[in-house]
Amino acid sequence: MKAIIRFFTSVRLAIVLLIILAAASVLGTLIPQGRSFEEYALRFGRLSGLFIRLQLTQLYHSIWYLALLGLLALNIIVCTLTRLSPKFLKTFRPQVESDPKGLLALKIKDRFKQTAPLSAVKAELEKTLEAAHYRLRATIHDAKIYLLARKRIWGIFGSDVVHVGLLIILAGGIVSGLGSVRRQLAFNEGQTLAVPGAGFELRLDKFATEYYPDGSVRAWKSTLTVLEQKKSFLTKIIAVNHPLTYKGFSFYQTSYGWNWDSPAVEIWARKKSDPSLLKKIKLKVGAGAPLDDKEQTVISVPRFIPDFVLGEGNEPQTRSLQPNNPAVLVEAARGTEKIYSGWIFANYPDFAQMHRGKDTDLAFELKSYEVGQYSVIEAAKDPGVNLIWIGCVLVMLGLGLAFYWPTWEIKVVLEEAQGKTDVIAGGIGQKSRDRFGAEFEKLMASLRRSK
Amino acid sequence: MNESTLFLVAFILYIICALFYLTFLFSNKLGGAKIGSALAIAGLVIHTLALVLRTIESGHAPFTNMYESLSFLSWASVLAFIIIDKKFKIPKIGPYLMLIVIALVALASSPLMPKDVAPLVPALQSYWLWLHVSVTLLGEAFFAVAFITSIMYLAAKDVEKKEKMDSVSYRSVAVGFPLFTLGGLVFGMVWAYKAWGTYWSWDPKEVWSLITWLVFALYLHTRVVMGWKGKRSAIIAIIGFLAALFTYFGVNYLLAGLHSYA
Repeated sequence: MKAIIRFFTSVRLAIVLLIILAAASVLGTLIPQGRSFEEYALRFGRLSGLFIRLQLTQLYHSIWYLALLGLLALNIIVCTLTRLSPKFLKTFRPQVESDPKGLLALKIKDRFKQTAPLSAVKAELEKTLEAAHYRLRATIHDAKIYLLARKRIWGIFGSDVVHVGLLIILAGGIVSGLGSVRRQLAFNEGQTLAVPGAGFELRLDKFATEYYPDGSVRAWKSTLTVLEQKKSFLTKIIAVNHPLTYKGFSFYQTSYGWNWDSPAVEIWARKKSDPSLLKKIKLKVGAGAPLDDKEQTVISVPRFIPDFVLGEGNEPQTRSLQPNNPAVLVEAARGTEKIYSGWIFANYPDFAQMHRGKDTDLAFELKSYEVGQYSVIEAAKDPGVNLIWIGCVLVMLGLGLAFYWPTWEIKVVLEEAQGKTDVIAGGIGQKSRDRFGAEFEKLMASLRRSK
Repeated sequence: MNESTLFLVAFILYIICALFYLTFLFSNKLGGAKIGSALAIAGLVIHTLALVLRTIESGHAPFTNMYESLSFLSWASVLAFIIIDKKFKIPKIGPYLMLIVIALVALASSPLMPKDVAPLVPALQSYWLWLHVSVTLLGEAFFAVAFITSIMYLAAKDVEKKEKMDSVSYRSVAVGFPLFTLGGLVFGMVWAYKAWGTYWSWDPKEVWSLITWLVFALYLHTRVVMGWKGKRSAIIAIIGFLAALFTYFGVNYLLAGLHSYA
């Protein structure tokens, strides 16, 4: 049992774990994480099976990585607990008496004789040290006066505060891992969706993309309204970096797009034989409309492509879902006879002229199109996040204490010797020793000067 | 004077500064170090003006692309050097640190780095950009000082000089580690939570920040608890700085394609 405790309390274990965790983390950035089996097979060949069995493809969520973190947490807990009680003892019930020989063996030390009597030297010493913000404890034993002067005692708890902070962060990670909810909600403008598990609904009133003068994107903004029992509760415009938070849920702008199912287009139709005829037709893709001419021609738009490109076999297809090259297929029919079929382009109004349908008398232009946009909002609830922030504050506080709140301790023994007072003083401080040494010297020098 | 002219002036001042430090290094006359130190401060002042102008011109924090962040990192390194030199009186690290600074500034000035002022993409529109990047890079600048002093420790023969380098290296880590923890990890997590709704997503840049942090945690534990000093400490500090450098550079260029940092 003792051996087990010794193993977990050893800093050696912590060091071994830090090295293994660092090495494992490096490995996880060399092997792409969370890809498909095919991708690994292509990239690593026969090794891919081994990688997957060792969970190297889900490394940071693998049992062994989590076990390493768990072991580190255990090590931190045991180390901190075994160190805390001696530290509390040192803080609240310190040993005031000290061995003069021990003091003289210290690096920071001094010994001198004062002509003033014992009690006067003690009073002067206390005055000097208190002026330098030391807290004092004194005791008398065997005609010797012992003084213990300390400043910034809380500095010794710096590492413990850091470690408790880290444990809280790890706990926060566990709570997040088990309890966080994350859902992508894709809204069309005007659509209301229930937020799963939240008991309220969300409506996207408007989605807009704002641009800089140079054409690059300035912001994606979704106007969201929270609905409870069909009643509007609040409306907020969210953007990247500006989420909406409501009842423990946060809503993030994550993606957007165009709903290309049935955009509305405006088409201008002309007849070369009849320059007076200009028909402006607004219709939805998939629908048809009469041209209102003598021949009773009917126009229809069966297809719309947002980013027109000719693929293999000259098959029209879209290169992306962005409206980079919007095109619409226009057909004209008289009765059952199809007399025209051709693509017209919003960005290239003259292009259709070069394509000749059966009836070259007809000419079309795609003047505009209207398309609904959708916005993808991520609804997230993370019950661990507050623990994370508490842990972060403690880690920073602890680092501040550990590095910039050095505990300094001055121990003094006063003894009467041949009518004079023998002063033996020593300084103990792990951090900022140079500054401490200088301060110690200054304090002792000022004491010597006093008569 | 515009930003690029000021940047160039600072660059030239840094070069002259390095030359004076080099004369000091070879002649061991303190005059060279004094002039070098004055030139470093002059260069820093001009460089500061360049960064301020850039901020005014672009309307956002001066570290939104590689050129800007390199410029800021070199600025932070000069600042860290001046602070450490003032505190510990070690002009000997001057020539080496200034060479690193010159390398960073030269890289920033190279045609590889687009210098155009670009409008801020939505993902970076946050005051956390200021807090996260500036504090992280300042921390890394102190790691750079620890790196130089660790190398000088390994190279030095004189015991007294070795001890000094070891101590300054530790003190630089003592400044750099809290800054890096605050800027890189804590502010990074807060910003990630605000922007993406998750404070940690095991992205390569995050993982490499963690690795850097683990290496310096190792440095502190071996040193403070196990009493390692000198050679072994120096080697860990060097590895730590290289990890920080990889977090800053390597992830963007070598591990690209895994995840693009918005």
